[in-house]
Amino acid sequence: MELSFKIEGGNFSGAGSASSEVKRTLKQLDVDASQIKRIVIALYEAEINVVAHAFGGKIEVKISADKVFARIQDQGPGIADISKAMQEGYSTASSKVREMGFGAGMGLPNIKSNVDVFDIQSVVNEGTVLEMTFYLS
Amino acid sequence: MQKATGKYFYHALKVDHDICIGCTHCIKACPTEAIRVKNGKAVIAANKCVDCGECFRVCPVRAIYIKQDDFAELSKYKYRIALVPAVFISQFAEGIRTSQIYACLKKLGFTHIYEVEHGVGVMIELMNNYMLDNEAKKPFISAFCPAVVRLIQVRFPSLVKNIIHLKAPLDVASITILERLTDAGINKEEIGTFYITPCAAKIAAVKSPVENITSSISGVINIDFLYNKVQQMLAKENTPIDPINHSLSGRDIMWSLSGGESQNFSGNCFAVDGIRNVINFLERIENEEIESDGIIEMRVCDQSCAGGVLNPNNRFVAVNKVKKRADYLDSKLDGRSCFLPTFSQDFNNRVKSLMSIEEIKPRSILKLDDNLQKALKMVENINKTKAILPGTDCGACGAPTCSALAEDITRENAKLEDCIFLSSECDRCAETLERIWNYKNKNK
Repeated sequence: MELSFKIEGGNFSGAGSASSEVKRTLKQLDVDASQIKRIVIALYEAEINVVAHAFGGKIEVKISADKVFARIQDQGPGIADISKAMQEGYSTASSKVREMGFGAGMGLPNIKSNVDVFDIQSVVNEGTVLEMTFYLS
Repeated sequence: MQKATGKYFYHALKVDHDICIGCTHCIKACPTEAIRVKNGKAVIAANKCVDCGECFRVCPVRAIYIKQDDFAELSKYKYRIALVPAVFISQFAEGIRTSQIYACLKKLGFTHIYEVEHGVGVMIELMNNYMLDNEAKKPFISAFCPAVVRLIQVRFPSLVKNIIHLKAPLDVASITILERLTDAGINKEEIGTFYITPCAAKIAAVKSPVENITSSISGVINIDFLYNKVQQMLAKENTPIDPINHSLSGRDIMWSLSGGESQNFSGNCFAVDGIRNVINFLERIENEEIESDGIIEMRVCDQSCAGGVLNPNNRFVAVNKVKKRADYLDSKLDGRSCFLPTFSQDFNNRVKSLMSIEEIKPRSILKLDDNLQKALKMVENINKTKAILPGTDCGACGAPTCSALAEDITRENAKLEDCIFLSSECDRCAETLERIWNYKNKNK
């Protein structure tokens, strides 16, 4: 089954609706609580990344019996150096975003530690595509 | 003594079908979507109800009621103990003394009056020890409000482990008085302990405690019932004002107010009240957005127990009264932080040993099927059905929302035809939908 959501850049207060919807569905499917937790955390971080850095984007989630696949695509500045962005504590977030309690440089590392298969592609001044797979068994 | 029976929880909330007019107010108010109107009557699903009492608050014809124990049960016992919560005292008008209320309760048949907040001191010790011994179970959610415990069981099963597995001050009080009387040589069978409850959840918790074992409380009487009895007595006769030997502190009686529990603990604590706030906060805890190394106090009623569904007094007035009484009690303390325990260490240890809850089981109501493939199909079906339904959440089908109806249809508990707008008998419904709700734009 598939779910898709739009993400609005800069809308911090509205962030999290995609992850709550996915959480509800996973609970209906009776997926193990620890699995739900890591999926929701990764999705929320990914959503916040788009809100904090990009103009907008979308999340597509495919749920099947053995795995959950999510693709987050945004239109935005892109990531110039992905390997740096993967380092804990590295952040390009503006001071404004940091004041709001986001942009600690833990987003991508935190996502990676929660997913089984992780892929990120980015083009500067165009946007970023993040793909994550979570195996349920 | 009460024992849990049956597959689901005991529920104190009941619907009188002779009075129910099938109006759908309650289905909208229920936080777990446990109520449906079928054949013109509200029906509460036993597995989903958490006894919060929101339906009771909104019922316009008082068809929903809270079943208490028969007051005549008192006469079965030689020793009849009233376990009184501080909020009971706060229901009465300014100028009515605690001692007068006690005197009335005795006239009504109780032999002993014991305020449940006497258990607070022991409770704080127990909770602190529990937190030290269970580091790994952070964040700690208090088990004080039974409706919160049940809500977590049915809607947030992954947080069941975070609930502090301890009974409440009410149980400390009840166990304390039972042990004291039996130590004095009184036969346990002769002692009846009756809790005066401000809500349905406390009744349900006494009748079927989460841990599925016997409760130490013999019966539960609704606050409004005794309030009326005491009021009638106060209006008629001169009640004696006997001085009471207070052994409660302000801290103790504040326990059941919002913040009254969390203020006793160090670390990052939270006090959340109101059912919608509690649900929102639990979502956040589940997403690990909340960092807490202290206590997370949660009560489903706005203003906690002062806002209990059975309280006759306004919740804010009741809070004010409890606080004033707390100041008065503290003034009697002469600078001490609390009254020293009057029982021996051995006695306290005995009470403490009876306070733990062995197991709280998750009971998810969200799960659609044990088989994941089948559940997936069902989710797809629900989403497809939702797209067809008008999305107005009008409640005319008897389900609280179009989503809930979509789920009912998928579970084969309802039909698409139950939606009045989609029913073939409704020829101008599409037009109405369009005119009022702009139906065509719904899925945009």
